[in-house]
Amino acid sequence: MYSKLPFKNVRRSFKDYTLYFLTLTFGVCIFYIFNSIEAQKAMMSVSRSTADIMKTLTWLIGAISIFVSFILGFLIVYANNFLIRRRKKEIGIYLTLGMEKRRVAKILLVETFLIGMISLGAGLVSGLFLSQGLSVVTAKLFEADMTAYRFIFSVNAFIKTIMYFGIIYLIVMVFCTVSISKFKLIDLINAEKKNEMQKLKSIPVTIVLFIISIIFIGCAYGLVLKNGIASFNTTLIFEMILGALGTFLFFASLSGFFLRVIQTNKKIYLKGLNAFILRQINSRINTAYISISLICLMLFCTIGILSTGLGMNNALNQGFKFNTPYDVSLEVNGDGNIIEALKKYKFDIYKYTDKVVQISIYQYKKENLTKSIILKPIEKDIPKSVSRFFMGTPLYLIKLSDYNSLMNLQEKKEVSLEDKQVAVFSDYADAVPSLGKTIRSYININPAIVISGTHYKVYDKLITNRMETSAGGGVFLALIVPDSLANGSIVNQSIACFNCKGDRKVMQDKFESDMYALSDKYKNTDKFKMGMATKESVRSISAGAKAMITFICVYLGLIFLITSAALLALQQMTEASDNRYRYNIIRKVGADDRMIRSALFKQIAIYFLLPLCVACIHSIVGIKVANDAIISVGGVNVIGNIIITAILIVAVYGAYFLATYFSSRSLILNSRM
Amino acid sequence: MTEILKVTNVEKYYGNKGNLTKALNNVNFLVNKKEFVGIMGASGSGKTTLLNCISTIDTVTSGHIQIRGKDITEMKSRSLSSFRRMELGFIFQDFNLLDTLTAFENIILPLSISKVNHKEAEKRVQDVAAKLDITDILNKYPYQMSGGERQRTAAARAIVTNPAIILADEPTGALDSKSSRMLLETLDNLNKNMKATILMVTHDAFSASYCSRIIFIKDGMLFNEIIKGESTRKEFFNKIIDVVTLLGGDSANVL
Repeated sequence: MYSKLPFKNVRRSFKDYTLYFLTLTFGVCIFYIFNSIEAQKAMMSVSRSTADIMKTLTWLIGAISIFVSFILGFLIVYANNFLIRRRKKEIGIYLTLGMEKRRVAKILLVETFLIGMISLGAGLVSGLFLSQGLSVVTAKLFEADMTAYRFIFSVNAFIKTIMYFGIIYLIVMVFCTVSISKFKLIDLINAEKKNEMQKLKSIPVTIVLFIISIIFIGCAYGLVLKNGIASFNTTLIFEMILGALGTFLFFASLSGFFLRVIQTNKKIYLKGLNAFILRQINSRINTAYISISLICLMLFCTIGILSTGLGMNNALNQGFKFNTPYDVSLEVNGDGNIIEALKKYKFDIYKYTDKVVQISIYQYKKENLTKSIILKPIEKDIPKSVSRFFMGTPLYLIKLSDYNSLMNLQEKKEVSLEDKQVAVFSDYADAVPSLGKTIRSYININPAIVISGTHYKVYDKLITNRMETSAGGGVFLALIVPDSLANGSIVNQSIACFNCKGDRKVMQDKFESDMYALSDKYKNTDKFKMGMATKESVRSISAGAKAMITFICVYLGLIFLITSAALLALQQMTEASDNRYRYNIIRKVGADDRMIRSALFKQIAIYFLLPLCVACIHSIVGIKVANDAIISVGGVNVIGNIIITAILIVAVYGAYFLATYFSSRSLILNSRM
Repeated sequence: MTEILKVTNVEKYYGNKGNLTKALNNVNFLVNKKEFVGIMGASGSGKTTLLNCISTIDTVTSGHIQIRGKDITEMKSRSLSSFRRMELGFIFQDFNLLDTLTAFENIILPLSISKVNHKEAEKRVQDVAAKLDITDILNKYPYQMSGGERQRTAAARAIVTNPAIILADEPTGALDSKSSRMLLETLDNLNKNMKATILMVTHDAFSASYCSRIIFIKDGMLFNEIIKGESTRKEFFNKIIDVVTLLGGDSANVL
């Protein structure tokens, strides 16, 4: 008998809490899929740099998974408490029948265990199959080629999922036992009769709280808009706490405030079931404002993460073409002939190419030239996201002949300078249009730069052609000068660039692996320090970084989204029995089914929309600020990402909303008096 | 005398062919305007089923129930809701007040649902509240009120729509003796001063003694009917006790 009870209960709970089970299963499924990404490379041909990035990604996902397991753990413990509370009466009956608390606890433990096993099993199975499909997406994101199809099973992810969720369920069991030992029989038996105490807040207190919350949120917005989020420091933490606190206070006072406002308009307030609906929401939010605030903040994270994360993605994508003018670039710090240096290691660069261009970047010796020469006059126009740190750094010089030979290799137009003329160079400016605009405005005022007492005119165009192939960076600001001016300067950096001969892609791969072999060989001698970037490696790094950000954002976004939607749905479902009582009274008083349906719909819709709306308002500010930060790495297509995010949210959140509404409705309409 | 409620040949069966329960068996009676009628019977005698059928919450198996000449057994569910709203007032044992609303909002709710203009509605609530002496508690929530206040609020909600008939199901069931006396006086007040027609189901002889006429039900059939007439409440109470004794004990079984 005792052994049968949990099984029966679980079967019944499945019907009552389908949403909860689906959420659990979905959580397990997502957890497995994202932890199994590395295993998917078995299906692809990946380059060395892609494999490296996949390793980093796996490590990052592992770290995030710990965080995710905390969130899911919170959700599960919270949900379980809800379910137990809802079953108080049943537990009370067990106890009155003479069952010991220990035994009741045991029944509940077995139930939790069963539910855990079933959701874990279902989640793993669905995760296993879905991850097969995901590998196509993974390959596409990493821009890797798919090899023959294989069924992929990630043992690591499998064990990890079981372990993490096992721990979560164990914690749930502990909580469960503790909460049962605290129950008093009389409370359990009378659980259904409890009359909800309305927490009445006086009007002045509500209004003051509401105003304070608006001030808090407003201040947080103002500060974050002013300071930006480019640097993570105490100000930012302060702003976040201010915003969160404001949100809490907002929800604590909102419904009371809102109610008072509507109550002043009797015509609306007393129309149909409006008073009832408003009171329902008021009582709900008053008792659950903490969780609603949390849900709102989580939704804010979802929106923020998804839209700006996918935005980063675009920025990286744009950079790619621009970053790779040649097949290969090599660089060393300081003075050095790269071709000769390689020859010393018996490495003949001409095996790979016919023509190599070597150039140097100089630091002027006779005088301390800094970037402030150019930046000072336009200081106030420089975009906020560009650090002021650059001002004091040296302004490097590039010989005109070096620049022109690079352009020859790129098959681009050469630049010719008149006597006593220099050109401003910034390949960074193209990536950050606002910076480019600022520097161009400097050139337009037709300034003269004084170097060692001589006045130099400035060439009328800003030069932005990329000089070398590299994954990131670029030259922020430099001067192209007549060769004579740079003579005798210190060589800050030497660069060699070339295009491969033969099959350029194959040759690049060969060159890359040969170079890696070389550096591995001389790893310990400390002499071989050379930066290298091939077009292909930059491509895979940029694709990899893109994939990494996409995966992490979607992972976190999805987890946040389902957690918050599930919490809301769960709260509504457990409310359903109270609601059933109330809606029954409404029916007795004379409301017909149509009115009841519309009241229920409005109630649940407002309840779901409220945190979403506040989260959206937060997000407008959040995305604006994040964009300002991202713009320093490249432009962002905000609208596109917001649309994708919105579709995702509407789909998941909407599904939870509809499921909640329909199950509440059937519960209420089917329970005739 | 105007006829408010007319019950003819009402039958209500539960179960199926093999196991049939006749909850109501050929019940006939009339309730006239301004009457305060009690329905008495033991547990399981069918009195609540009868009330549920009259209040349109349940449907009859056969027979007709007419309220103010309208046959509710022939109505569609949509028009039943509006009928219930316009013509019936309810007083329940467990008050059935909404815990989230104040007394005022609870009372005005049926008017709001019926789309009565809010100024007119407020005036009616104030009138009813004054008559039931609950003006002071209009802004309180149910949990802040005493049992008697809650019951009077529920009574106010039942009467505020000026219904053809007020149906009360064991209204004193959850009250202590002082509160139930107050409630019964409230019902009496509704009946005498506000000209309300009341149909009350009870198994308590003391509550029943406030009625002007009592219909007894036993095993789904009408058993007896007594009228208060000119007798005092004390005399009427004794009469009721006599019938209840007769009703409860099948003398053949006892002796």
